[in-house]
Amino acid sequence: MNFLSQFGKYILMLKGMFSKPENAKLYWKEFMHQCAEIGVGSLGIVVLISVFMGAVSTVQTSYQLVSPLISKSAIAQIVRDTVILEFAPTLVCIVLAGVIGSKIASELGNMRVSEQIDALEIMGINTKTYLVMPKIVASLITIPMLVVLAMGLGIYGGRLAGSAAGILPVEEFDRGLMENFMPYNVTFALIKAYTFAFIISTISAFFGYYVSGGSLEIGRSSTKSVVVSCVMILLADYALAALLL
Amino acid sequence: MIEFTNLKKSFGEKLVLDGVSHVMETGKTNLIIGTSGSGKTVLQKCLVGLFEPDEGEIIYDGKNFTEMTQDERKLLRQQIGMLFQGSALFDSMTVQDNIKFPLDMFTKDAHAAKIKRVDEVLERVNLVGSNKKFPSEISGGMKKRVGIARAIVLNPKYLFCDEPNSGLDPQTSMLIDKLIAEITKEYNMTTVINTHDMNSVMEIGDNILYMKNGKKEWTGNSKDIIFSDNQGLNEFIFASEFLQDAKNMRKLEAQGKVDQNGDIKK
Repeated sequence: MNFLSQFGKYILMLKGMFSKPENAKLYWKEFMHQCAEIGVGSLGIVVLISVFMGAVSTVQTSYQLVSPLISKSAIAQIVRDTVILEFAPTLVCIVLAGVIGSKIASELGNMRVSEQIDALEIMGINTKTYLVMPKIVASLITIPMLVVLAMGLGIYGGRLAGSAAGILPVEEFDRGLMENFMPYNVTFALIKAYTFAFIISTISAFFGYYVSGGSLEIGRSSTKSVVVSCVMILLADYALAALLL
Repeated sequence: MIEFTNLKKSFGEKLVLDGVSHVMETGKTNLIIGTSGSGKTVLQKCLVGLFEPDEGEIIYDGKNFTEMTQDERKLLRQQIGMLFQGSALFDSMTVQDNIKFPLDMFTKDAHAAKIKRVDEVLERVNLVGSNKKFPSEISGGMKKRVGIARAIVLNPKYLFCDEPNSGLDPQTSMLIDKLIAEITKEYNMTTVINTHDMNSVMEIGDNILYMKNGKKEWTGNSKDIIFSDNQGLNEFIFASEFLQDAKNMRKLEAQGKVDQNGDIKK
């Protein structure tokens, strides 16, 4: 029953976002601010994770591929497909659920507790449109961009590790990258990225927007938003794989 | 003028407002007083639409607020200013940007005109030169004044203040009270203040609504309150012996029984 009422509240929050902005210029400014906060703010961690996950993929794949019948270039293929299909969209989004999700939830939660949201409401501003919508749209735009970046950097990290550890030369890695490439994999990864971006931004906004109490509750709702987002990402990951692959 | 009739509001089983009716007058400081848990904050939140009453009507100068659509409410809210208990300033903005925010959102004025208006209201609340400071860099009293400046920047018809003196020293409290009372007269606003500050009640209480257990218990002004024999009100307002003495003194003054030197006539 509690789940249903919370879910209903979540749907109503999303529905409530769609109203005419009081001042398009200020909304645009807020949207750009969120793009910078969410996109640029998460760049560092995404770069770091992507390069290392690609590098580790190469090393571990090479460790497991012991058969002399399989060409070394297969390592590049495996790294490419693993990074594109799973690591870049899912792993990066799980990390982003922690980085962006907790940020959105605690920012909105703090605004709620310190009555800043009430102050905006009293001014006649639809706070769902002004505060929640730009965060969701900015996430839907920047998170897929970060995922695409993670794909590139992951593969680059794998290439770098392959040559640095003497597993396979750069030329062989590049040749492997070109073999049996399926562009649909990128489309699938992008579908996942958009789905996960929606999950991260809406769930964390929901937990932040409806927080009640004090600073302790802000922390709790922030943690809850990350946990629920991660669980939903994993469920959606499985559902999308079962449906689309 | 804000008139509300038979307002009822419950949270689960708990009835917080039990049929409250009253009229908040224009150009006057209307005080809602009562002990913690008496329902005054819920009443104020119902009046501004942050809570929906279960029953009853709220009329803003002839317009029924309870029957308004969301869009109509949004328009009305542009005529409402509110000072929150914690000031509710936007942390990431400077004092100037906080005050300018409603102007940016709802007017098409040029930047220079907005800055001029910000300077005007800052001068009105005695905060000239604080434009570039952040909320974290100013004191509690200054935050309240910035809150007032932001609330009046669009020349509202209605001003709501939730515990304007909480967390302030007596001297600063008096300054804030005086400022609110002056602004109310100057802008001819309907000002509604939630308070349990005894000083505010005695100094600026033009129209007082005393609430107890979610019900209207007593109404009057700061002069009437001295002569009130309502036991609950007397226990609440004149809680200490010192305040009882002050009340008795005021009573004698009002009856003309105190001479110019402050001595009781024989």
